[in-house]
Amino acid sequence: MAGPKSSSKPSPASSETYVAVSTLWKSYLDQTPDRLKFIDAFLAFTVLSGVLQFVYCVLVTNFPFNAFLAGFASSVGQFVLTASLRAQVNPENRSEFKEVSPERAFADFALGSIVLHFFVFNFLG
Amino acid sequence: MRLLSSALVTLLTLTTFSFASSSSVLVVLDPSLDRENYSIFFGGLEKRGYNLTFRAPKDTSPAITDYGVPNYDHVILFAPDTKSYAQDITPQSLVGLLSENTNLLIALSPKQTPLTSLAAEFSLILPPPETPLISHHPARSEPQTTIPVTVSSSSPILTSGIPPVWFTGAPHALGSTPMLVPILRAPAESFAADSTSDADSDALVTASEKGGEGLWAGSQMGLVTGFQTNVNSRVVFAGGVKMFSDEYATKELPSGGPPGNALFVTDVAAWVFQAKLKLRIDGVDHHRVGESEAPKMYTTNDEIVYTAHISAYDSETSTWKPYSGIDDLQLEFTMLDPHIRTSLLPVSGSPGTYQVQFRAPDRHGVFKFVLNWKRKGYSYLESSTTVPVVPPRHDQYPRFLSAAWPYYAGAISTSAGFFLFAALWLAGDVKGERKKGSKVE
Repeated sequence: MAGPKSSSKPSPASSETYVAVSTLWKSYLDQTPDRLKFIDAFLAFTVLSGVLQFVYCVLVTNFPFNAFLAGFASSVGQFVLTASLRAQVNPENRSEFKEVSPERAFADFALGSIVLHFFVFNFLG
Repeated sequence: MRLLSSALVTLLTLTTFSFASSSSVLVVLDPSLDRENYSIFFGGLEKRGYNLTFRAPKDTSPAITDYGVPNYDHVILFAPDTKSYAQDITPQSLVGLLSENTNLLIALSPKQTPLTSLAAEFSLILPPPETPLISHHPARSEPQTTIPVTVSSSSPILTSGIPPVWFTGAPHALGSTPMLVPILRAPAESFAADSTSDADSDALVTASEKGGEGLWAGSQMGLVTGFQTNVNSRVVFAGGVKMFSDEYATKELPSGGPPGNALFVTDVAAWVFQAKLKLRIDGVDHHRVGESEAPKMYTTNDEIVYTAHISAYDSETSTWKPYSGIDDLQLEFTMLDPHIRTSLLPVSGSPGTYQVQFRAPDRHGVFKFVLNWKRKGYSYLESSTTVPVVPPRHDQYPRFLSAAWPYYAGAISTSAGFFLFAALWLAGDVKGERKKGSKVE
């Protein structure tokens, strides 16, 4: 993934925005721990899922409205929980969450998600 | 024992009495009109099983009603010139009879009597007193007030093909009430005038030149008109009594041949005495498609089957027989307004049954099945059944709709993603921890 991106980088170097974005991307790839990248991938997936459902709702139908609410809330809720997890396990935030160990953070995340999905599936049908 | 037998006898007399009075007719006949002169009409009634009782207008007995209960099923008032009656015959008491399901056959005349003011209450507008119907056509030897009137065959009351009938008397204009049933109309060339001589024919010409204002003329006037009340009792106003007489029943028409008077008055009497065009709703039932019992309540969008059973009275056998002859019956499913109005058609193969299947509206509330069939000459058919229509219960809605699959997929994939994420997170714990640590250091 990173290989082709960096090779295509120099050709449109004229655009400053592109330079800025590519620098950001490169530093993200270099400096972010794998754990956080993994969380980010999951966050991207929930965002994509939520956007797709919202587009379907707007363009096609919101008819079983409870199903839309459940599906969309599942994406949003999962995003929020995962983002919290990311904030708590990020080593740079260790001073903020002194008493929250990464294991405790993950346990909170897992419990919150299970409760969320319980409500989602109750509301879905 | 004696008590029992006397009770039996009383019961027996009561039943025979009620049977005899089931078609009893009181004829209030003016003494100036001889009963023998109307023998064809009265004889025909007696032959068809009517039990006639005669009485003069000023006699006090037999009474029309006792303690507000009518003593007779039908009353014939052939006293067109009588101005004063016995106490029990008043316009109010006659209206009271109609509301007690007694039928009236009333003869009017050009004279002003209590009955002419009664006719006005039934939306018949009579011309000024002493203005009989006059016609100079067709040419004939009879006086100009003795008129052969062509019978229209459009009324369901009359049998088709009745020859013209002789008429003498007063016409009337018809008011706007839809309960009126025109039976005989005046000839187009006839008019009502206040003199039997042609002396003031100039006045008529002047009136007709003014567009006919104030002129009593033409075929919009009625001569014999029926009225059916809301309780289906019937009253007929005839403009003259002579059309019922033997003289007119046998008088040859100007065109030759016998007149239609005998047949016409028989048809009119049959209608007014409820022997003809008498319908009733035997019963209605309604249920969901595929069921046979009426449910306590319907759900919106249910498929409903509504059935009505209608009978017509057969006077020859005195029984009610299923009747399938109505082709314009309508059913309304109303909540304030008719949400559904559909035709209720006879079912072929089962006489007297009318059935329709329809979908309940997507609207909950207290609905009524309404049958309301009112046609001139026929008994009114009215039926109303109230049913509640409720929204579906919480477990009656459709589930797992195809339109919702993207939402289901979204929720399921998020859950699956969460489990995958958790599994990978826990599996990669040691390695990730080390990596993280090295990165931070």
